[in-house]
This record gives sequence, C-alpha cells and structure tokens, in this order.
Amino acid sequence: MSAIVKLVKDSLDVTTHGTRPYHIWMAFLTFVMLVGMYCYSIQVSEGLQVTGMSDGVSWGLYISNFTFLVGVAAAAVMLVLPTYVLKDMDFAQAVLIGEGLAVAALLMCLAFVIADMGGPARLWHMIPGLGILNFPSSMLAWDMIVLNGYLFINISIPFYILISRYQGKKPNPKIYIPGVIISVFWAVGIHMVTAFLYQGLPSRPFWNNALLGPRFLASAFAAGPALIILVLAIIRRWTKFPITEQTIKKISMIVTVAAQINLIMLFSELFKEFYAPTHHSESAVYLFFGLKGKAALVPWIWTAISMNITATVILTYHKWRNNLTLLYIACGLLFAGIWVEKGFGLIVPGFIPGPYGQITEYLPTQIEVGVTIGIWAMGAFIFTILARVGIKIELGEMKYKK
Amino acid sequence: MENEENKKPVAGREKKDGYHQVFNLEMDRRSALKRFAGGLFSATAAVTTACSVTASDEKKEKSNMDWDEYFKGNYKEMTKDERLATVDRLEKMYTERTGKNVNISEKGEVENTLFGYAFNVSKCQGYMDCVTACVTENNQDRDSEMQYIRIHEIEDGKGFQFNEADDNYYHEVPNEGHFYMGTQCFHCEDAPCTKVCPVEATWQEEDGIVVIDYDWCIGCRYCMAACPYDGRRFNWTQPHVPEEEVNTDQHYLGNRLRKKGVMEKCTFCIQRSREGQNPACVEACPTGARTFGNLLDPNSELRYILENKKVFRLKEDLGTEPKFWYYTD
Amino acid sequence: MVILQELKLRLMKTKLILFAFILGVIACQHDDHHANSVSNQIKEGEKHYDGVSVSSEDLTEGIKTHEVEIGERKFHIRERESQIKSFPCSGCHTSPVNQIQTEGEQKAHWDIKLDHASEDVMNCMTCHTDDNMDILHSGTGKEIKFNDSYKLCGQCHSPQYKDWQGGAHGKQVKSWAPPRVSNTCTSCHNPHKPGFESRWPSRYNTQKVEERK
Repeated sequence: MSAIVKLVKDSLDVTTHGTRPYHIWMAFLTFVMLVGMYCYSIQVSEGLQVTGMSDGVSWGLYISNFTFLVGVAAAAVMLVLPTYVLKDMDFAQAVLIGEGLAVAALLMCLAFVIADMGGPARLWHMIPGLGILNFPSSMLAWDMIVLNGYLFINISIPFYILISRYQGKKPNPKIYIPGVIISVFWAVGIHMVTAFLYQGLPSRPFWNNALLGPRFLASAFAAGPALIILVLAIIRRWTKFPITEQTIKKISMIVTVAAQINLIMLFSELFKEFYAPTHHSESAVYLFFGLKGKAALVPWIWTAISMNITATVILTYHKWRNNLTLLYIACGLLFAGIWVEKGFGLIVPGFIPGPYGQITEYLPTQIEVGVTIGIWAMGAFIFTILARVGIKIELGEMKYKK
Repeated sequence: MENEENKKPVAGREKKDGYHQVFNLEMDRRSALKRFAGGLFSATAAVTTACSVTASDEKKEKSNMDWDEYFKGNYKEMTKDERLATVDRLEKMYTERTGKNVNISEKGEVENTLFGYAFNVSKCQGYMDCVTACVTENNQDRDSEMQYIRIHEIEDGKGFQFNEADDNYYHEVPNEGHFYMGTQCFHCEDAPCTKVCPVEATWQEEDGIVVIDYDWCIGCRYCMAACPYDGRRFNWTQPHVPEEEVNTDQHYLGNRLRKKGVMEKCTFCIQRSREGQNPACVEACPTGARTFGNLLDPNSELRYILENKKVFRLKEDLGTEPKFWYYTD
Repeated sequence: MVILQELKLRLMKTKLILFAFILGVIACQHDDHHANSVSNQIKEGEKHYDGVSVSSEDLTEGIKTHEVEIGERKFHIRERESQIKSFPCSGCHTSPVNQIQTEGEQKAHWDIKLDHASEDVMNCMTCHTDDNMDILHSGTGKEIKFNDSYKLCGQCHSPQYKDWQGGAHGKQVKSWAPPRVSNTCTSCHNPHKPGFESRWPSRYNTQKVEERK
C-alpha cells in the first residue's frame, strides 16, 4: 500500500518538474483548459442555447468528438493484441503509451458527454441502484457500462504493470493476461456499441444501415494507431524512451490496412446512396453536394475524403510508408480526415433533413469550440502526465525506494 | 520517508476510480468542477442552509425542499404518498417564487382508456388556432416560440411529400392549391423514444399517453434523435412564460413549468384528458378537423372514424404504431 | 502456455454464452413488437371494457342539450331554440314569410344574404315555412323543429350527415367521455352562409426562421 502512496508522491514530483519546453507545454494546456472551463461555466448558467445546436440538429460538436474519440480509445488495443497475445515484443514499449492514450481518450469521451448533457447535475440518475439504468433497451445505457468498464480495465492493467515495475518486480502474467485478452474484445465492444447508438435509429436513415458498426471499427483502427505513431514520434524526439523504427513501421502496417478498408467501406456507402438515390439519401446529398442551397458541410467532407485518400495512397506504397517523414504526414492527414468524416461529417448530416424534410444547418458557436478545445487540452494534459510517469518508470528513473 | 499515520485509505485497486485517487489529484479537481458545478453548488448551499442555526425557518424549509426535489426518484416508481409530496413541494416552491398559486395534479390514468387521435386532412384550413391554444394551455417557452404542433402546408398534387411542405407560412389561409396537415407527438405504442432513454425518464402510461418526468430527464437528447416524427422539444435555455399567461391548472406529467435542459412534448393535454376534457387543440379547432377519444370504447367517435373512414398513419413502415390517424372526408 | 490456452478456451465459451444472451434479448424484443400493435391493444382492452370513471356531464353542465335518436344511435346535441334570441318568432311577427321577403318589407334579417348553393337550388323557402316562421320543413313538407335542423342539412349533405352521426364530422362539446354531447350543424356553420371564411393564421414562428437560416 505504501508503494501506491510513494508512487503518487513520485508522480507528483515528476510531473511538476521538467525541462522548459515541458513547462511551456503544460502551461499552454492549462491555459486552454481554463478557457474551456470558462466557456463551460457560461453554458451551465445559460443553458445549451449558447451552442449552435437546435431542435433541428440536436447533437453537434460535442457528440461528434465523442464518437471520434471512442474510436481512438478502442484502437489502443491494436497494440495490446500483438504484444501480449501474439507475443510480438516489438510492440511492448508502445503498449503503455497506447493504454495511456486510451485512458486519456476515454476521459475526453466522458467529458464530451457531460458537456453535451442538458442536466449534468442529474447524471446520478444513470447509476443503477441510485437511479434507473434502462438496460438492455437503451444503447446509451450499454455505452455507459462498456465505456466505464473499458476505462477500468485500461487503468487497472497498466497500473498493475507499472506499480510492479516501479517496485522492480516482474508483473505476473497470470494477473494481467486475462485482463489484456478481455480488453481486446471489449475494445471492439465499445466501438460497436457506440456505433449501435446511431445504427439503431430508423428515424435517421443516414445512420440506419448495417455498415455503420464495421465502418466505425475500420476508421478507429486507422485513426487511433495513426495518432499513436505521431505520439511515439514526439516521444522519440523529446524523451529517452527507446522506440524502435521497427515498432513504428509495424504499427503503420495496421494503419494502412485499416485505412484501405475504411476507403472500401466509404465507396460502398457512396454507391448505396448515389447509384439509385431514394428519399433516404437526402442526408448524403446534403453532405456531399448540398441540399436546397444549404451546403455548409460540402467543403469539409471533400477535404476530409481527399486527405483520407492521399494518406491511404502514401501508406499503401511501401517506399513512402517507410519514409518516416512521409509516414507522419500521412498519419496526420488520416487523423484529421477521419476526425471530420466520422465526427461532424457523420453526426450533423444525420439530422439534415429533419423528419419532415426541414433543413436546419448547424454551425458551432465560440463557446462550443471553447469547451471542445478545453477538453482536447485536458486529454493532452492527462496523456502527458500518464506518459511521463509511465516512461520514467519504464526507464527506471522512477523507482520505489523503501 | 514513509508516514504511516498519513496513509490515505486505499481502495485503489477495487474501486473503479482508483485511477483518480492515485494518479492525478489536479485532474480530479478540474473534472469535479466541470462536472458538478451547478448541482454541487446548489446541493451544498442547501445543506449549509438547512443545517445552519442562523438561517431563517423559511430558508431552511426552502433548502429542505430543494434537497428533497433534487434527490427524489423517478415519478414512475414513486408511491402515491411520494407523488403527493412532490406536487405539494412544487406548488409551494412556485408560490414562494411568484406569490401565486398553482394546482399540480398527480391524477393517474382513467381505467379502461387508451387514448387516440384522428386528424381530418380535408377539414384543416391551416388556421393554426390549435398551435396557439396548445402553447397557452401547456405553458410553453415564449422566448424560443416552442410549439408542439406543426402545421404543414402541402401543394396539391405533391402527395404527402413533407420535404416539399412549408411548416412556417404566413399568408391568408386556406391557400389556393394547397392542403394542410398537422403533426405533433403521436404517442406511439412502440415508441422509439421510450426505448432509447438511458434513465427511463420517458415512458408510456397505461392510458397510452407517452409522458416525461421533467425532473428525471438528464437532457441527453437521445429521444429527440430517435423520434421519427419531430414530436419532442428540448429546453435549450430556461423557459419563460409571462406571469399572467401561466396556466395554473397543471399536471406533474403535463403542463407544469419545466426547467432548462429537459425535454418536453405534447402530452395529449394530460391535465385535461384525464378529467374527461378534450385536449386544447381539439377544443380550439374551428373546423372540427381534430378528434380525440378512447380507443377502447367501441362507441367512441374515434373508433367510428377508424372503422368507417379511410385512415392512415405516417411512416407506417417504421413499426412505431402511432396512435394518431389521418383521414379525409 | 497451457494456462494461456485454457484461458482462451474459457474466453471462447464466455463469448458464445454472451452471443446467445444477446440473441435472446433481441429475439424477445422482436416478439414484443407485434404485441404492441394498436389493433392488438384494442382487442385486448376491449374485452373488459365497462365504461370509464370520468363523464362529460361535469364539463357540459350549463350547456343546454337534448337527446336525439338517429337509427341505432342515441346521443345529445346542443339545443338551438333556447339560443335564438327571440324565439318563437311568431311571438312578434305575424306576417307570412313570403311577404317579409320582398324588398322594403324586410325590417329584421335584412342583412341575411343567402350564400348557400345556387339560386336554382335554394332560397329562403327551401327551409323556412311560409306560414309558420317558428318551424322549418323538409323537402317533402314534413315539419322540422329548429332543434332538429340537422335533418334539413342531411337532405343534401348526406355524406357529412352520416359522418356526423358517427363522430367523423363536426366536434364534440368539451369532452371525449360518454355520454356523448355533440355540436350540431349550426354550431359551426351559418345556415345562410355555411362556408368557412378565409383568414390569416393565428401565429407565425419567427424563431423557426432564425433557426433555419
């Protein structure tokens, strides 16, 4: 038990001391978080009308980011699976980073959900026992369970491994392997459940198709590891943590395959919507071409798809993929492209046109953007701290001294 | 150095929030602030005032009521006494706020009723008297001009193509070459909204009315995404009804005053229909285009319409089983 | 290695059980779907229907009605004679109707212009009796009281009449609950000018316009 206390003390020590760039980074993140909190306080006092959402488009930037980040969180498993189950040790170092990213992404997801709620003070109504949880009927109830469960797994397993290494002990596989295996399946679970949130609504034909779940998985396994590659690049640059090129190249293989599958699924969607358009295709028409003069999302989606295609092409050609600079560019493009395509490029068109064909466009307000970047900063902040502590322990710089 | 006396009680590995206790206290504060700002402040204030020795009795009673209201359960699961207690509290809180009285009923369903609705498309002239009556009767927010009912003006020959309809027209009606259809919550028997609510804040009562417990709703708006008929409305801000226009005959599940961040919708005027009265829209329509009735009564006008007129419902293929039929002369 | 394989096997089993459970949940939901159809609900509920505990009587108190029996149906309708300001007309007027009809002789009702069907089909005498202004008459000369004026309208407007009898035309008075109290034709339609006037809608939603910009 005292090991945990000492770990806390050491963590606090390690995260509050560092180089100048580190301090500048953390200060910047803190500032952005404060901006976010200020914007959120305005939202709490005046209600959600300070956002761009309306009866026509009732989910906007917050839920878009939530959807995207669940995918990023699920993707951490892409490193866990090879490392522990397939015993490919090239991934070993990246695993803790991936798990840290998953935790940060999950906390961002929870933050976005709470930011989007009309009554966050009544959140306890969802806790079974205290309140009522509409399980198994409501997919949101499922989502709450699986997300929190995944958070628990992704905290407890790496925590166990870290605290063992912190004490110089070897973590016992009998304890962490079952958790690891569960987390692999659970990761697929969280993203399918999040997809089912939208997939199960016949009132929104843009989402109500069988491909949404698999598409979510494909784009998650493209965007998540792409972010991990970028983060690993930063870690290589700024810390002494050894990440081999081999690790990055292996992860890039996963990103490539996932990005290719994502494109195939996109083409399947486009075919279904535009080969023989029905009244149900109106949302896709709005997204790609505009509807009745309303075309706010058209430049966004075409940019996103071009970025995705460019990135996939770069990744496919192995000479380019193995060029680290090009790889990082491709990962950045892919991450941004999928953020648009799966974020508000999916959520907002689902509401347009409305149930009786009315078109209400959506534009996020400054407050909404403020809260969003505040939460992203919070995620970066959490991740930096987790990564820093994890790396220090792995490097042996943080040791439990009795 | 280790300090045995200052050891934190560690439940790190068992509790889900072990991470919070161990890794980052700073994050804890930030997330607590973000997440519980509103509720925690008011709850703390309530506790402090309630336990204070110096606060007046009035203030203590008020904070006790606030506390009880915050921690009460879902209306669906309350006993009769709990329901009476909560409407009593709400009435008192209103009087305290405004000095006026309201009557909030908790009347349950009338036995042997299953409410349904019929709309005569041939008769609607697009007057929107129903919309006005509904807004007044149900204390809807005037600032955002919330309206449960939509009247769609559709061109003759277009068929029921709602995407070509205009639901916000302002010219002399009936407009030549057009016809009118009204939509609102259809109180579906297999409602998608009740299926998706994560906290069961919305459900269908025995008499068929789909209701919302405004104090239980957490404002996630999943039901709004799930409704295929644009039946539900959300309070994006604190709703405001001018004092003199407040309808003081209220029902807990119906037209009592709502707060920001909760859903609301047509309740078939539950405060009226459970007393045998027609909903406000039915009463207001000058052409008799709207009929309300009990589906279980074989002699009701509604059953006559279903059995003798050519009725249809919207989006029948979705399987939602709405209890709102359209027919023509 | 053996431990790992055992764990994998156990996990497979759990996965299968979970899969079966989910299938069961979905399947159960599917059954419920058909039970929920309105026609099934009506069939079930009708079996033990024996009236409701609310009545229209409280709401229609003070409204003068009288009971009519049309075919197999018995229901109440609004009374008319008590609503006409100075009924019976013969209390003051003694001249026959056809005399009062001519220009110059008309003193009251001078402003009643008949805007109902065409001149070929209708004039005052179509409904009003020339030697008795307290009573109306049918096409065959049968007397019809003002209270039963629906019988007159029903002569030409038989689809509406039929619909009104059942409740598909017109409006009930204040309540959906039995006993049924219905409006009559003249409750909504002026018999001399029965059409509904064109007018402006009662409101315009400016917020919706903002939202849709």
